[in-house]
Amino acid sequence: MIQLKNIEKVYRTDTVETQALNSISLRVAKGEFLSIMGPSGCGKSTLLNIMGLLDAPSKGDILIDNQQTLSLNDRKLANFRNNKIGFIFQSYHLINDLQVVDNVELPLLYRNSSAKERRELATAALEKVGLSNRIHHFPTQLSGGQKQRVAIARAIVGRPEIILADEPTGNLDSAMGNEIMNILLELNRVDGTTIVMVTHDPNMAQRTHRLLRLFDGSQVQ
Amino acid sequence: MLKHLFKLIWNKKKENFLLISEILISFMVIFAVFTLLVYNYQNYAVPKGFEEENVWSVDLGELNVSKNKDSVGVLHENLRNVLKNLPEVKAISYASANVPFSNSMFTSGTGYKGIRINVDVNRVEDDYKQVLGLSLLSGRWFSPEDNGLAKSTVILNEEAKERLFGKEDAIGKMISDGSSKVIGVIQNLKDKSDFKAPMPAIYTRIDTGKINQMNQILVRVAPGTTAAFEGKMYKMIASTIKSTNLEIKHLSDMKAEKNKETIIPMIIFFIVTGFLIINVALGIFGVLWYNINKRRAEIGLRRAIGATSSAVSTQLLGEALVIATFSLIIGSFFAVQFPLMKVFDLPTSVYLLAQFFAILFIYLLVVICALYPGKQAAAIYPAVALHEE
Repeated sequence: MIQLKNIEKVYRTDTVETQALNSISLRVAKGEFLSIMGPSGCGKSTLLNIMGLLDAPSKGDILIDNQQTLSLNDRKLANFRNNKIGFIFQSYHLINDLQVVDNVELPLLYRNSSAKERRELATAALEKVGLSNRIHHFPTQLSGGQKQRVAIARAIVGRPEIILADEPTGNLDSAMGNEIMNILLELNRVDGTTIVMVTHDPNMAQRTHRLLRLFDGSQVQ
Repeated sequence: MLKHLFKLIWNKKKENFLLISEILISFMVIFAVFTLLVYNYQNYAVPKGFEEENVWSVDLGELNVSKNKDSVGVLHENLRNVLKNLPEVKAISYASANVPFSNSMFTSGTGYKGIRINVDVNRVEDDYKQVLGLSLLSGRWFSPEDNGLAKSTVILNEEAKERLFGKEDAIGKMISDGSSKVIGVIQNLKDKSDFKAPMPAIYTRIDTGKINQMNQILVRVAPGTTAAFEGKMYKMIASTIKSTNLEIKHLSDMKAEKNKETIIPMIIFFIVTGFLIINVALGIFGVLWYNINKRRAEIGLRRAIGATSSAVSTQLLGEALVIATFSLIIGSFFAVQFPLMKVFDLPTSVYLLAQFFAILFIYLLVVICALYPGKQAAAIYPAVALHEE
């Protein structure tokens, strides 16, 4: 599903050159649930951003569904992200001025779908994460766990084949974290969604199919 | 997407209140500017109805003769003969003091079948038409056949004819309670300034009974007549009439002076408005700039979930236009009250055109102000913006 070949990422300033990722090669199979662990600053989020086509590597190739992605232009990349990938972030990234249902509808705004279709899909996604009774609430009226469930609904509303989650339980207590993890596991098990999750929590990582450890930008396991 | 933008702006109405108010106030000021511009332009575009180039206005001042009308009449005839013998003089006409672009006014009431209007009254001679190059629309101009008639003959301008008779033919009709007969209709004369709408006017022949009040002459001279000739003519008139305060002015100079009365206040108004527009532009620019910096994470998110960089800048532009639309809807409500309540008695078309131009101007201003911040937003790198939060 996702294939990374010799990925390197170097951040350069006028005086400093930082090697964020060093020759990472990785295959993520369709329907796999991969977790990535490592100390802060080891390049986990950078790797996830590269997989999500939010950032370009300095060197190497990325293939998603056997399609070379580095040559895609801005429009095609946006289209690719919109159709293939769902993102979940540690800090949720919900728009506080929009109701829950409008937040969930957001990815569909960039597709040719009707308002009715958008509303139906968003409502279905919210039902799936157990928030059908909160659709007209604003994010500021929700708890952290509920916000992350809204973010998950937003990630799955467009029925992507891949979900990239960057520390989705990082801001939550263990009970809430478990709740979110259960939702992700169910999405993986029932819908066959490929999930790559960055986490600091070994308990969460243990529940996934495979663990990738990074240290100083290099793959250690 | 439009519904989404409306929802987004509506849910942030408190934050956008100041900007909406600022654009609303600007719209009202720009509406006033365009009302003035459209009104003045419409007046400017109206045909002048006469040719002021090479026409001089001679103010005879206080005549140093007996007030006896015969003496004045003799003096006038002597002067006419002196001037007519000059090869540079093409035509002359005595007239009442309210010649084109003068500061004098002479208004009176007239009426026809219950319709009463105020008109500018111009006392003129038979050669007045030739001096100013007037265009006759119907009927005839004054001629010797009007001598000694029981009822006086008058000529109306188009405006007076429209107000008194509408579509009806005016020629041969009696006005002013049957005391005057209309013999002709001429094109309106824009004789107050290039920017003043023509008023209803009536032209009557100089009454010999009031000849001592006629101390103004309009002289048409040959094109290219020099200042040296003007000096020579001045001396000749002065020696003929022995006037103490004789004055010769060119109608084109008098027009320029009158035009200044409109142009100078307009320039001052435009300068003040210009500063306001700069303020508003900076306001819109600042708010959009601030929004982008405040909303970097949101912009990053939108990019992550499928927005292209152009979609992001289009969205910001769209938001600015939606905010402007809120202001313009409120502003238009106030603007339409002007023609409905006939606030300044201007034609409705002036207000509607001014409103249209003001709306267009505001949208253009918003687009210009949103372009650069929109471009900046499009350049936000999603991976960086999402990581900042």
